[in-house]
Amino acid sequence: MKELYNQLFQNHGTKDNINYTYMDSIQRDIAIGSWEVNLQNNEVTWSAMTKTIHEVEQDYNPSLEEGINFFLEGYDSELIGILFNRAVEKQEPYDNEVQLKTAKNNIKWVRIVAYPVIKNDATQKVIGIIQDITEKNKTLFELKLKEELIRTTFDNAPNAMALVSLDGQILTSNKSFSDYLGYTKEELIGFPINTLSHPEDVDLIPQNIKALITGKINKFQCEKRYIRKDKSIIHCLLSVSILRDENFKPVHFISHLIDITKRTIANKKVETLLKTTKQQNERLLNFAHIVSHNLRSHSGNIQMLLDLMYSETPEATNNEYVPLILEAVNQLSETIDNLNQVSTIKDNKEQDLQRCNLLDYINKAISNFSAEIKETKAIININIEQDIYVLAIPAYLDSILFNFISNALKYKRDHIIPEITLSAEQSDKFIKIEIEDNGLGINLDLHKDKIFGLYKTFHNHKEAKGLGLYITKNQIEAMHGKVKVKSKINKGTIFSIYLKHETN
Amino acid sequence: MKQIESACLIDDDHIFIFAAKKILLATDICENFTVYNNGADAIEGLNEKIKSGHDVPELILLDINMPIMDGWQFLDEFIKIKYPKKITLYIVSSSIDPVDIKKAKEYEAITDFIIKPITRKNLINMVSAVSKKE
Repeated sequence: MKELYNQLFQNHGTKDNINYTYMDSIQRDIAIGSWEVNLQNNEVTWSAMTKTIHEVEQDYNPSLEEGINFFLEGYDSELIGILFNRAVEKQEPYDNEVQLKTAKNNIKWVRIVAYPVIKNDATQKVIGIIQDITEKNKTLFELKLKEELIRTTFDNAPNAMALVSLDGQILTSNKSFSDYLGYTKEELIGFPINTLSHPEDVDLIPQNIKALITGKINKFQCEKRYIRKDKSIIHCLLSVSILRDENFKPVHFISHLIDITKRTIANKKVETLLKTTKQQNERLLNFAHIVSHNLRSHSGNIQMLLDLMYSETPEATNNEYVPLILEAVNQLSETIDNLNQVSTIKDNKEQDLQRCNLLDYINKAISNFSAEIKETKAIININIEQDIYVLAIPAYLDSILFNFISNALKYKRDHIIPEITLSAEQSDKFIKIEIEDNGLGINLDLHKDKIFGLYKTFHNHKEAKGLGLYITKNQIEAMHGKVKVKSKINKGTIFSIYLKHETN
Repeated sequence: MKQIESACLIDDDHIFIFAAKKILLATDICENFTVYNNGADAIEGLNEKIKSGHDVPELILLDINMPIMDGWQFLDEFIKIKYPKKITLYIVSSSIDPVDIKKAKEYEAITDFIIKPITRKNLINMVSAVSKKE
């Protein structure tokens, strides 16, 4: 570089016009101008490029003071003033980057290099160059900003990050990395990263690292445990990528950790819960089987024995006890049947549901009650179109309709002829079936939460067992439907049953 | 009115056997009974009867849950044997498990699935099914 300057200066000193022009064009190409201050007569000479940098006309010739005044007022012009004086007095060359304001008021970064020319121990003149470095500085600043941005992002990222050398040593790490693992950055730098791994998880990495280095993969991800400084375990999602230089040569790894300890623990909890629930479900099914079979066989035997007693030794049954035993065992059998029904209701997949004609099922259900209807003179209104179909399990639909109609008849008011109205309408999602009666009604303020509960009864009715609505609700829900109730004491009750229809 | 020659009860529940016998006797349906307490005994007994030329029962009442060989296992063996005459077989079980009821329908040898307890009426129906077949 210095050689080039010398050449520039030397040529500058000649009067050769051809060379002069030639040097000017070189100066223009490399954006470097030259200048000279002759201390004998204080004459200032600027090359064409120097003038261009200052954005002055080519015929402009500054005085020394004018030349210095181009530098930004304050720091820049003072600095140059001092440096120039030192060059003159102490014969010290200088090389500085300063800012100047051109004749057109543009601010530029320039590099100023000056050499005192000495003759007989006295400074004859100061020669130098001026280089426009605005663009270079701008790029530098941008780079610096970008670097700053990346560094800030790296340092303050919520996830842990580390740069790891190809042989596995931590080159640098961010704050989250320290937070995650409990080591300070100083402790971590130079540390082999795999010594932080949980011993059982060490083997997860080498194969992938190889593939990364050979370029087979760009990055890999895995779940991995690390041991904190306090020996506790942190579950992380690790993702490793590789940085390569322009020749595709690996430089270092970038490791990125996300703490998934909470998620992992939550998942484990869910798994355990699921397992427990499964076991409980199995036990419940076993229980249902015991109810279904073992208890039934005992109650059945007692019923059979009593049946025989009645026919073979009627005299032995002619007392207060045997009829009560018979009643008790009949009730026991019924309870067992009901419980069994409850335990066998299970969630049904949509494809298990069948298309059922609602009116047919309702007519069938009502036909079960012909005796009661006759006896109570009940009025039954059916407002249901022939072409309404619901998606249901036939046995459940039978049971549901049977239960609601049975309830409507059972819980009638004394001396009032029961009237039951069944209607249905179709909406987007459901067929809504309404079963309205004019019976006793239910105090919903009191019973709202437990109306569909197990073994809940709301009337002192001798036949109320509190199982029907519970079973019914479960059966409706098992078919992805729902049930609602509206009721007023001594006015009546409306049950609305929502069942799916075929269009969805 | 004796309607069938002999009936076979395969059940491990002695109270059921006692009561079933009583009902069959009381209704004069049948006087000869063979009782087996599990499926294995029943298969062995039936095979011996065929070998020795004894009459096989016309009616079998079969329980499902039994020790050693249960009702289903018995059936799998039973259908392999050739009998000199048609045997009417009923499952008589306390099980109301739909799985069992569905399974029973898969066996051609089973006439019906009766849920315990059996009554006089049940039994008379079963016997009339035997007569019809003949």
